[in-house]
Amino acid sequence: MSAIAHARRDRWISVAVFLSLAAVWQLLSVLYPAEAAPGEPMIAGWQVLFTNTFLSLADYWQGGLGVPSVAEGADRSYLAAFLSVLSHSLDTMGRLVIGLSVGGLVGLILGLAVSWARWTRRLFDWPLQFLRTLPLLAMVPLFQLWFGTYFIGEVMFVAYGIGVIVFAGTVNAVRNVPQIYIDNARSLGASRWTLYRTVILPAIFPAMRSTILLSLGAGWGAVLGAEYLGAQSGLGYIIVYAQQFAFLDRMFFIALLFILYTSISYWAISKLSARLLQWAPLSQRA
Amino acid sequence: MNAPNTSRMIELVHVNRSFKRADGQAVQAVEDVSVAIREGEFVCLVGPSGCGKTTVLQMVAGLLPPTSGEIAVAGHEIAGPGRDRGMVFQKDSVFPWKRVIDNVEYGLKCRDVPAAQRREIAQTYLERVGLAHVAKAWPRELSGGMLKRVAIATVFANGSQVLMLDEPFSALDYVTRHQLQSVLLDLWEEGGSTARRTVLFVTHDVDEALALADRILVFHSGRLIDDLAVTATRPRTTDSLLMPEMVAIKHKLLAHLGLEKPTAPLKVARS
Repeated sequence: MSAIAHARRDRWISVAVFLSLAAVWQLLSVLYPAEAAPGEPMIAGWQVLFTNTFLSLADYWQGGLGVPSVAEGADRSYLAAFLSVLSHSLDTMGRLVIGLSVGGLVGLILGLAVSWARWTRRLFDWPLQFLRTLPLLAMVPLFQLWFGTYFIGEVMFVAYGIGVIVFAGTVNAVRNVPQIYIDNARSLGASRWTLYRTVILPAIFPAMRSTILLSLGAGWGAVLGAEYLGAQSGLGYIIVYAQQFAFLDRMFFIALLFILYTSISYWAISKLSARLLQWAPLSQRA
Repeated sequence: MNAPNTSRMIELVHVNRSFKRADGQAVQAVEDVSVAIREGEFVCLVGPSGCGKTTVLQMVAGLLPPTSGEIAVAGHEIAGPGRDRGMVFQKDSVFPWKRVIDNVEYGLKCRDVPAAQRREIAQTYLERVGLAHVAKAWPRELSGGMLKRVAIATVFANGSQVLMLDEPFSALDYVTRHQLQSVLLDLWEEGGSTARRTVLFVTHDVDEALALADRILVFHSGRLIDDLAVTATRPRTTDSLLMPEMVAIKHKLLAHLGLEKPTAPLKVARS
């Protein structure tokens, strides 16, 4: 079978698995019709999720754009629900993207700086191990007290979570750059700075790719964790709010959205980095 | 060049290098080596593995400081690697993230040679090593022999006065090895006998040393134990290697490597 035929078959397998899972969920909703509260099924079937549940998300629309909010006395509408999902998603993504950029950049720069000399690496080796094993979510309350529950606090938390991973990944990747490339560059006349720019940075990229994908997963977790505690918007905020009223279907709907977003971001970064890695052997790109 | 002391392009004076092995034991890799190499000389360093020949090369390259002693190139004591001494490594050193031509340009780019000029130089040397057709390829698309050609083109394009090659062809097949030997000699002789670069070539292959060298330095257990002049004219052919003086040198080398008892070579029958 050709590679293309293989890929096509694999795709069909993925689709089949996806559809089966959806069917199992639907089956469970029929077999287990218990309700947490009147009108609130423990397991909401798809027909509920895409009608009542989605519509109920209009409750979180804060008004504007000529679409009045439920709090202002308007009825729930699909438009308001859509805008609500959109605006809260954008809030969450904004925090993620800024946190990811800041954390990734600071982590990378610090990692490269620490790798500059053997003694700096020694100096940071132990604190690094310590930071890496510290559970991220344990730091949420601390960050709230340090930076507040608003935008800055949330972004700082995400940046911290990602920064630690990228920092550790960078130090490790630089350590694993084959000495022969460094020797070759130096004997061709590269200065220390040129060496970093033209050899170390590209050489660590294959290893950094998995670090980036890893930190992306942690980033989604971190932004949600930050929003659980005190945010006034975002997908995490909706989950917490829905939990207080036992709106299980809304929580499930947001969880599905989350799966969708993480999958798309993962796929996009994976594709983008594969393109940047066209020089590498296939085993480092897949 | 300002220091036209051509009899001493590379000079090692009482050079020592010791290592500490993982088990804590000290190993004397290079012991009291003193030698002067003339400008334009093609010198092969021969010896059994672990004899210190690669260590000598790395020290001259500046990648490894000597434990004691002095190393001077063109009259200046060396401090770290520099572009006056180009190195072709035993393992693949071509940067996989740069296309072939960008690899060849690397050294020129490091010292800000204008783009058009460095591209022209790189193109020239790629042609010389027979790789003009893969200038835009990624290194992963090339064979081992082609990668060695890229490495050779890179150091020649960089214009180093001294070239060091560390068993560059040892992993290649017989045919490729011989092709690359002649590519190397062509490049070495490109400027005529007055503009030849000084070459240090590490090998464990006796025939390779005989085919390439003006002079063969034999190492054993970290010491320089013999210094043989190879006077056969160039270009050398398979027949050159059968000339009596070449056979005599070969016997000496084999004896040094412990492959022959150090007796007098067989008398060549003369009619």
